[in-house]
Amino acid sequence: MNFKKVVALSICAAMVAGMSASTVMAADLPDQFKDLKANEAYEFPMMVKSFQSTYWDAAQEGMKKAAEELGVTYTAQGPNSESDIADQVNMVNTAIASNPAGLGLAACDTSSVLDALKDCADKGIPVVTFDTGIADAPEGSIACEVCTDNAQAGSVAAENMYNAIKDVVANADGQVVIGEVNQDATAQNIQQRGGGFIDKMIELLQADGKTVAVAGNEFYVNAAKGADATEADADVVIQVAVPAQTTVELCSNEAQAILSKENCIAIFGSNQTAAEGVLAANANLNVLGSDAANGDVIGVGFDAGSIIKAAVQDGTFLGAVTQSPLMMGYYAIYALTAAANGQELEDVPTDGYWYDSTNMDDEEIAPNLYD
Amino acid sequence: MTKKKKSIISDQRFIVLLVIIALSAIFSIMSKEFRQYTTLLSMLDFSYYDLLMAIGVTFPLITGGVDLSIGTGMVCYALIAGTMVRSHGWPVAAAMVLCLVLGIAIGALNGVLIGIMNLPPFLATLCTCMITRGAGSLCSATPWPGLTQDGGWFHTIFKITVGTGRSASRYPIGFLWMIILVLLMEFVLNHTKFGRYTIAIGSNKEAAALSGINVKFYHVMVYVVCGLFVGLAAIAYAAVTPTVQPGTGAGLEMDAIGGVFVGGVAATGGYGSVIGTFVGIFVIMLLKTGLPYVGLQANWQQIITGLVLIIAVLIDIIKEKKKAAM
Repeated sequence: MNFKKVVALSICAAMVAGMSASTVMAADLPDQFKDLKANEAYEFPMMVKSFQSTYWDAAQEGMKKAAEELGVTYTAQGPNSESDIADQVNMVNTAIASNPAGLGLAACDTSSVLDALKDCADKGIPVVTFDTGIADAPEGSIACEVCTDNAQAGSVAAENMYNAIKDVVANADGQVVIGEVNQDATAQNIQQRGGGFIDKMIELLQADGKTVAVAGNEFYVNAAKGADATEADADVVIQVAVPAQTTVELCSNEAQAILSKENCIAIFGSNQTAAEGVLAANANLNVLGSDAANGDVIGVGFDAGSIIKAAVQDGTFLGAVTQSPLMMGYYAIYALTAAANGQELEDVPTDGYWYDSTNMDDEEIAPNLYD
Repeated sequence: MTKKKKSIISDQRFIVLLVIIALSAIFSIMSKEFRQYTTLLSMLDFSYYDLLMAIGVTFPLITGGVDLSIGTGMVCYALIAGTMVRSHGWPVAAAMVLCLVLGIAIGALNGVLIGIMNLPPFLATLCTCMITRGAGSLCSATPWPGLTQDGGWFHTIFKITVGTGRSASRYPIGFLWMIILVLLMEFVLNHTKFGRYTIAIGSNKEAAALSGINVKFYHVMVYVVCGLFVGLAAIAYAAVTPTVQPGTGAGLEMDAIGGVFVGGVAATGGYGSVIGTFVGIFVIMLLKTGLPYVGLQANWQQIITGLVLIIAVLIDIIKEKKKAAM
């Protein structure tokens, strides 16, 4: 009997251990990928934007895990840098020529791969785009898009920022300013992210009875939903800045103009360049910190990189939102396998995750924080 | 004749100085945030690399040439040297020397292509612009050591920080080095063989050759000097840019070249001054720094900067016409 008990217990223990090991990934697996099995041992070419940043290493880690689970293989390819557009187009064309079961694509430049996508559609090669969506792709050429839900990611930044400045806003004597630096007003991901932040912030502020105005860059002002006051008499002004070029220098100039306002209480840099611009401005101003009640301006970043990570670690930034290259790589392989099986797919949005000095080393977060 | 020309050039510098004062006044009146010491500090931080590139490119521009590789070159040297520090454990001092060596090497390549092989400067430096951009992209995004990290001492070349946090005082010592370099190169331009031959090549290359000047050698040296300053600019760039990103740098040369033209270097070559370049760069820097403070959006910032450049070049052309009429 004892022996039986031991056996039963150890089987249970083994099952529980097995479950917990796979929970991290399996828990969020979308319905369309549940019970997915590869019909053949497919081999997929995966086009990343470059091998330069550890962002893409994280994506490959996800691909590897998914490939092992499904029994498929993949080869990651990419140009020297994200701006080597022509090289990537060549690689894509070469890959298409060998008629793969499917193609994973993170396009350096969305418009330059349109011809290649048309070829794929003609040849019946399913394409899964990851990291970067292709809005004007030829009809039916994209089987599935695996990208960050940027509006959600922006709103995560707003929620966490608002928790830190809530009391300051509630007790403010006059008008206060919340800044946002976006590196441009043209790229879809930045538009959605910047807009997601603004809309969520408006919602949170209004829920606490404050009036809000959005000022600055016309695109973001016009896109904002629900602003209910003019810049002159709002309780809170969300000031949106976009530099003339996407350089850290010009982002820093814009950030400095906002941060040097006496009533500025918080600022959000919506990607790595913008967030580093905020930090560069702060190098002289020294107003950022994590204690809002004490007069610190609350800074929130986006993405990672060693500079932003260091700022989050030492409290200059309250925290930042990271995308999940790991999950994008993981789902991309699942989507490709399902598409190669002939399954119809829905797009898979991945979340942005909040990180601060307390959770940076957590196992779900750390792999996404590239240098 | 020489006297007349000199007074006109100093006129342009005087006009530019007035423009700087006027711009500062306008920005200060329109924005109380602009009137802060920290605004000046930030503007100076970001002006050093622009100014160093501009000092360098003043010389090719005076010869009637141009160097389009300065922006991508600067970023490329900062990337390669930064990678040496981060991934190969080089001391920062060695990385700084590497920046200068790379600058001189690419400068010499430009010089040989233009001065000896007679490629048009626009074409030759467009090629090295591509080469440096590509070479820089072989590295990954590279932060040089921060102020408080090991090897961060090189930041103090440009800015001395006393104390920490909010009570820290910051002194833009780099500005002093810039003034010294500007005066030194102004002296080199006007009072040394190298400088006078640079102007001679720009005025009339054939005449210069006929009068026995080793035009080829001095033409190469013009680009070498430019390269040296781009190497210096790379160090200044690394000191203010948190992470040097591969694939960037294109377009940075335009701020520097624009500043040189505002400062009164003839668009056709043949005359110019380093002090003019110095004041010209600060017009560009003031526009870049000040326009966000008065709430002007990005598109307007570019339009206004473009208009200022047109006016500056027009002044130059009117000057030329007056000279021709005399």
